[in-house]
Amino acid sequence: MPATTRRDFLKRAGWTGAGAAALSAGGPGRRAWAQQAGAYPEWIPASTKPAKRGGVLTRASQWDPPMIDPRLTQSVGTFQFAGLTSNRLVRYLFSDEATNPGDLSLRGDLAESWTASADQRVWTFKLRQGVKWQNLPPVNGRELTAADIKYCFEAYAKEGVQTLTFQEIEAMETPDKHTLRVHLKTANALFAHNLAEPIALIFAKEVLEEDGDLKKRLIGTGPYIMKEHTRKVRVVLQRNPDYFDKGRPYIDEYIILSTPDAATRLAAFRTGQSDFIWLASPSEVETARKTNPNVLVQSFHNTLAPFGLALAQDKPPYNDVRVRRAISMAIDRQKQVDTVFEGHGIPGWGVPYIYYQDKAPTLKELGPWWQYRPDEAKKLMAETGQAKGFETTLFYYEYFPQMSSQVQLVQQDLKKNLNIDVKIQKLDYTTYYGRYVDSKWDGMSWGFQSGHAIGLDERTYQYMHSKSPKNFFRVNDPVIDQLTAKLRQTPDKAEQRALAKKVVDRELDQALRLWMPYDNGFLVFQPHMRNVAAGALRRTDGYGSPTLARAWMDK
Amino acid sequence: MQKYVIRRLLLAVPVLLLSSLIVFGLMRVMPGDALILLMGESGNVGQKELAKLRKDLGLDRPYYQQYLLWLWQMVSLRPGDSIFTNEPIVVSLGKAIPVTLELATLAMVIGLVIAVPIGVLSATRQDKPSDYAGRVVAVAGLSIPDFWLATLVITFAAIWVHWIPPIGYVSFWDSPWRNLQQFLLPAAVLGYRLSAATMRMTRSTVLETLREDYVRTAWAKGLAGRIVVYKHALKNALIPVVTIVGGQLGTLLAGTFVVEQIFALPGMGRLTVEAILYRDYPVVQTNVMLVAAILVTLNLLVDLTYAWLDPRIRYQ
Repeated sequence: MPATTRRDFLKRAGWTGAGAAALSAGGPGRRAWAQQAGAYPEWIPASTKPAKRGGVLTRASQWDPPMIDPRLTQSVGTFQFAGLTSNRLVRYLFSDEATNPGDLSLRGDLAESWTASADQRVWTFKLRQGVKWQNLPPVNGRELTAADIKYCFEAYAKEGVQTLTFQEIEAMETPDKHTLRVHLKTANALFAHNLAEPIALIFAKEVLEEDGDLKKRLIGTGPYIMKEHTRKVRVVLQRNPDYFDKGRPYIDEYIILSTPDAATRLAAFRTGQSDFIWLASPSEVETARKTNPNVLVQSFHNTLAPFGLALAQDKPPYNDVRVRRAISMAIDRQKQVDTVFEGHGIPGWGVPYIYYQDKAPTLKELGPWWQYRPDEAKKLMAETGQAKGFETTLFYYEYFPQMSSQVQLVQQDLKKNLNIDVKIQKLDYTTYYGRYVDSKWDGMSWGFQSGHAIGLDERTYQYMHSKSPKNFFRVNDPVIDQLTAKLRQTPDKAEQRALAKKVVDRELDQALRLWMPYDNGFLVFQPHMRNVAAGALRRTDGYGSPTLARAWMDK
Repeated sequence: MQKYVIRRLLLAVPVLLLSSLIVFGLMRVMPGDALILLMGESGNVGQKELAKLRKDLGLDRPYYQQYLLWLWQMVSLRPGDSIFTNEPIVVSLGKAIPVTLELATLAMVIGLVIAVPIGVLSATRQDKPSDYAGRVVAVAGLSIPDFWLATLVITFAAIWVHWIPPIGYVSFWDSPWRNLQQFLLPAAVLGYRLSAATMRMTRSTVLETLREDYVRTAWAKGLAGRIVVYKHALKNALIPVVTIVGGQLGTLLAGTFVVEQIFALPGMGRLTVEAILYRDYPVVQTNVMLVAAILVTLNLLVDLTYAWLDPRIRYQ
C-alpha cells in the first residue's frame, strides 16, 4: 500500500475543503429555499377514495402533557389528544369537510343546533340524541344529557384556566334532557365560537366527583378512549366503538410518543416510526425529502404571529405613541423573514387576518409605522426628546432557537438606529412566564399570545381589552375597548369583519403590540395518510387534533 | 474495617444535612414559582386561589418549618407529591430509577470493555501505531460532547440503515428484545464517552506499573507476557482507574439528561431537569438528596475496593 506523503495529505485536504466550500456555496440559498417552499400546497384536499378502516397511527411528539385535566391547563401537550377523547358543544370543520384552511364555519359537535336571542344574551343548544359516554367506569356508557354540559360549564367557571369565558354565564337551564339554555351576563355574539375553542371539552362529572380532579382519568364522548398515559413516554388512544358518528373513527389506535429532541423526531419520521411531523424550515423539509421523497407536504401558513415586542406602555417612555412608532420603524422585519426564517415567514400581525380580509397582509399593507424607515424613526424619536437614546431591558424565553436570533437582531437595530441600549435577559420558562403574566415588568419583553385560541373574541376582546386579565401587552386604548366590546354585540358576519378591520387598523396605527416575524412551517405526512390537512390556527399535531377523527391510512 | 465503615457512615450524616440545606436554599432563591406557572396559563392568576393552593401545599409556612417538615418526610421515606403533576414522588422515582440504572450499567460495561483492553494495549505497545490509534480514540472521546455524538448517531442511523431505536420506553421485563434495542445506542454513546478518561488513566498507570521493580523481576523470572501484564501489573494499576470509574458511575446514576432527552428515555436526568424548570421543589429536593446519598455510598465502596485491590491498604 503506497504511503501517503505530507504533500499528498495537504493536497487531499485542500480538495476536501474546497469541495465543502463549493457545496455550501452551490447549495440552495435562502431565496431558493423560499422558492421551493412555494412549491408545496397550502391545503391537502380530502381523499375521494372510500376510507379504509384499521391501522395504528404513531407520532413522535415534542410535547409531553404536564397534566390531563382540561380545567387546569391549556397546554398543547394535553390538547394534542384531549380533543379526541372528548367533544365540545360546537366545533370547527374537520379537514374532510373544509375546502381551504381558512374556513372557520362552525358545526355541531355534541349540539345538533343552536340559536341566540336577538340581544345575544340567551343561547339555546339542542343536543344530539343517543350520545353515550365511553364505556368505562364510573360512567359505563350512560347517555349524555344537558345536565352534564351544565355541570362542566359550572366547573370551568369555578376554577382553572377557562374561568374568563365561563364566568360570563349568569345562569343555565335544562328544560329537557337534550336542551341547554345559557343566559349570559352581557351580550356576546361570539359565545358559540368560544365554546368551539379546542380547550372547552366536555368531561364526565362522575370522574371529577370521585377523584376530586381530572388528573388521572379523562373520560369523554369522543372518538378515542385514553388507554394509557405514561408521562415522558407515551399516550395511547384506542378507537371508541360507541362513538356517536357511526363507522368513525377509521384508525384503530393513535400512539403519541414523547420525543423531546428535534433530531430524534425527524429520524423517527424518516424510519417510519412517526406518521407525521411538523418542520420549521424549507431546508428541513428538503432534508427529509432526500430520504423520504414521497411524503405529503402541507405548507402551513400562519394567520397571525404569536410573538411580539411587548413594551411597558403604561409607563414612560413607552406610553408615548411616537416612541412606540419609532421603535417599530427602527426594526427591519423583512431582514428577519429573509435570514432567520429562510424567506418562509410572515412579517407579523396579531389578529388572524382571515377575520377581516381574504389574503395575508404584506408588510407594506401593515402601514407606515411597520416599514423599516430608520431615518424617520430617528426624527420621530428626536421629537419626543429621546434623541440620545436610552437604556432598557428585554427579557424573553427561547420558545424556539430562531427566537434568540430575532431578539439579537432587534437589539442591533435599536442600537444602530435609535441608540437604544437593550440589555437582553434570557430566562428559563418558569421565571419568564411568572414575570410576564404578572404584568408589572419595566422595559421590554418578548411577549406572546396563547396558541390555542381560534375565535375572534379571544383574539380581540380577551387579549386587548384594558380590563381583560389576558391583556398581557398592557393595551389601554379607549378606542380598542369600544371596538372590541362592540364586536361582541355584533352578530352579522360582514359587520364583524368591518369591525375586526377597524380593531386591527387602530392597533397597527397606535403600535400597541409590536408583532415580530414568525415562521410558517410545514406539516409533513407519510404518503399513506389521508384527511389530515391542518386548518388555520389549528395544526393537526396540536390543537387541531380532533380532525384525526376523520383521518385514515391508505395502506 | 467495620469501625471504619461505621465512622464513614456517621460522617455521611452531616454531608447529607449540608446538601439538604443547600438544595432547599437554592430552590427558594431561584426566581419563578411553580404555582404561578400552574395557574398562570389562564392569564387569570387569582391571588385568593394562589394563596389557597400555597396553604394546601404548605408553602405559606416559614422556611424553617418547610425545611424541617421536608427533612422529616425524607427521614420517614415519604417525600410527598409533585406540585406540578400531583404524582407521588416515590412513584416518579420508581419509574425513573430502573431506566437510569439500566442505562448506567450498560454504559459502564461498554465503557470498561472498550477502555481497559485498549488502555493496556496502548501501554504495552507504547509509541507504536496501535498506541497512537488508542490515544486518538481516547482523545476523540474526551473532546466530542454527548449531545453532538448522540445526534450524529441517531441521524446517520436513520439515513444509512433506516433504523433508530424504537421510541417509547418499554421495561426489560415487558419486552427484553425491544428494551435492549432502545438502550444499545444510548449506552454505546455514553460508554464511549466514559471509556475515554478510563482509557487514558489505564494507559498511564499500567505504563507506570510496568516500570516497577517487581514487574521487572516477573519478566526476569521468565513469566509469560500476558501473566506479567494482566496478573502482576494490571491489578495494581487499577486503583486510580477505580476512582475514576466510581466517579463516573455516580454521575451516570444522577441521570444523563442529554442522552435521555435525545433517545427519549424517561430517566432521572429528565425527571430532575424538568422539575427544576417547573420549580417543583419536592421533586428536585428529593432527587438531589437521593443522588447525594448515592455519591456518598459510592465513595465509600470505592475506598473499600482499594483494600481488595491492594492488600497493603488497611482501614482502621
